Amino acid sequence: MFSSMGRWFNLKVVRFFYAAGFFLHVLYETLLFPRRKQVGVKVLVLQILFTGVEALGVVSFISLAIGAVIIIQGMNIFPQFGQSQLVYTILITVIVRELGPILTAFIITARSGTAIATELGGMVVSHQIEAYVSIGINPISYLVVPRVLGVTISLVTLTLYFSVAGIVGAYFVSQLFTPIGLLDYFQNLLKVLRPIDIFASLLKSLVFGTIISIVSTYQGFNVKVASTEVPQVVIKAVTQGFALCIFADIIIVLMLRSL
Amino acid sequence: MDELIRMEKIEILSEGFEIIKNMTLNFPRGMSTVIIGPSGCGKSTLLKAAAGILLPSRGSLFFEGKNFFKMSEEEIKEFRRKNGFVFQDSALWANRSLYQNLSLPLEFHYPDWSEEKRSSKIRILLDKTGLTSQSSLRPAQLSTGEGKIVSILRALVTDPSLLFLDEPTLSVDTANARIIYDMIRDLKNKGCTLITATHDPGLISWLADYLVALKTGELLAFGPFDEVTKSPNPEVRQILGSVLMEAASYDTDILGLLNQE
Repeated sequence: MFSSMGRWFNLKVVRFFYAAGFFLHVLYETLLFPRRKQVGVKVLVLQILFTGVEALGVVSFISLAIGAVIIIQGMNIFPQFGQSQLVYTILITVIVRELGPILTAFIITARSGTAIATELGGMVVSHQIEAYVSIGINPISYLVVPRVLGVTISLVTLTLYFSVAGIVGAYFVSQLFTPIGLLDYFQNLLKVLRPIDIFASLLKSLVFGTIISIVSTYQGFNVKVASTEVPQVVIKAVTQGFALCIFADIIIVLMLRSL
Repeated sequence: MDELIRMEKIEILSEGFEIIKNMTLNFPRGMSTVIIGPSGCGKSTLLKAAAGILLPSRGSLFFEGKNFFKMSEEEIKEFRRKNGFVFQDSALWANRSLYQNLSLPLEFHYPDWSEEKRSSKIRILLDKTGLTSQSSLRPAQLSTGEGKIVSILRALVTDPSLLFLDEPTLSVDTANARIIYDMIRDLKNKGCTLITATHDPGLISWLADYLVALKTGELLAFGPFDEVTKSPNPEVRQILGSVLMEAASYDTDILGLLNQE
């Protein structure tokens, strides 16, 4: 029993250091990306197109829906306590600072994280990764870095878009129940919007983007020999991506709680 | 013997199993070395280790006397440009057309080349093999034999002086196998160093200058073809028998070799 526990512990330690090494290697290659005269720029553009542009529809729908729900509930509840203005604070806190980054991260994990892990896993099985190595292309700088940059850039942009679409959506929905002037609405919002809210949103999306892309590429490369391993690594990419994003969210919230 | 690649005490582990056991080998320059052995004995692994694609758990790899593991990034890039690798399952990039599969190594190694220059180089290669009309197809749309041919072309597109071939004629139809034979024969005549893992007795019979015989990750024999085929080691005789006997039914040269004792 002790020997099997020892082996289990040993395996976990080895995997932890392997993952840490992968993370550091990706960071190093990311810093070198502008210097590399490689053909990875095309991969970066395609990744932004897939992760950012093609996700606009679903992000728009969810942000509009969340904005609408907040404004409908807020307009019903807060006036009862004489706190009508609180709806703007809630809009900023929920859409810009909290739900915007994490929901966008969940959408990107479900769409792009799974796609990246599946694609890379399939490439490992069919020896396409080894084929890159055989011609001298570093798979980390050619396959991983453009995906990390593409997902992170897309997530930051989509989070900003989520915030704007949610707030604008909330305005249009408010017109159906309690019409407010456009100028009043945005003036009230700007009164409660602080630079730290935007900073928190950007910081979270930056961290979440890095987590999602590194976890999904790492899991994709974790496939050894069989295509049956691909669904397993995809599940791990999603669950670990979600869990690490929530963990990072808690850390960032704690760090910025007094600001 | 002018050695091009030297492997010293190479050991490769996978999931705790020793795939290659403490192996020391020299691959001579300008010669054709063929690796033979039963299925699962580590031929492909040895080939990938010699090409620096699979990193060993222990041991050293030298290319033209330079330690591969101490090479700079630029030296490794040059090493890759000078050698090509043909994978057993072709390993063509599925999301790229046949043309793009051939273009990527050129884009990487010769970034200053114009699109016209790249295109002309690729057209010449495709014309030789009759695949020009299929250049826009994806690998999934090619037959196994055509995929193998494209895989060889991809390995040759940077004009390497060393080529690794992993089962180049496995599961290939006769017509495409003939094209592959001609391509390999042409390379051999030009003095290109060839290191091949194969079960194909026909190919071994005319290609091998040197033979490597493996059994469960261990080196049984290495040397000039004539020496290894005359080896008294019963295990080597068994491997030679299983591989070459098949050829003996239609190749009198091999039959002659097996009878020399």
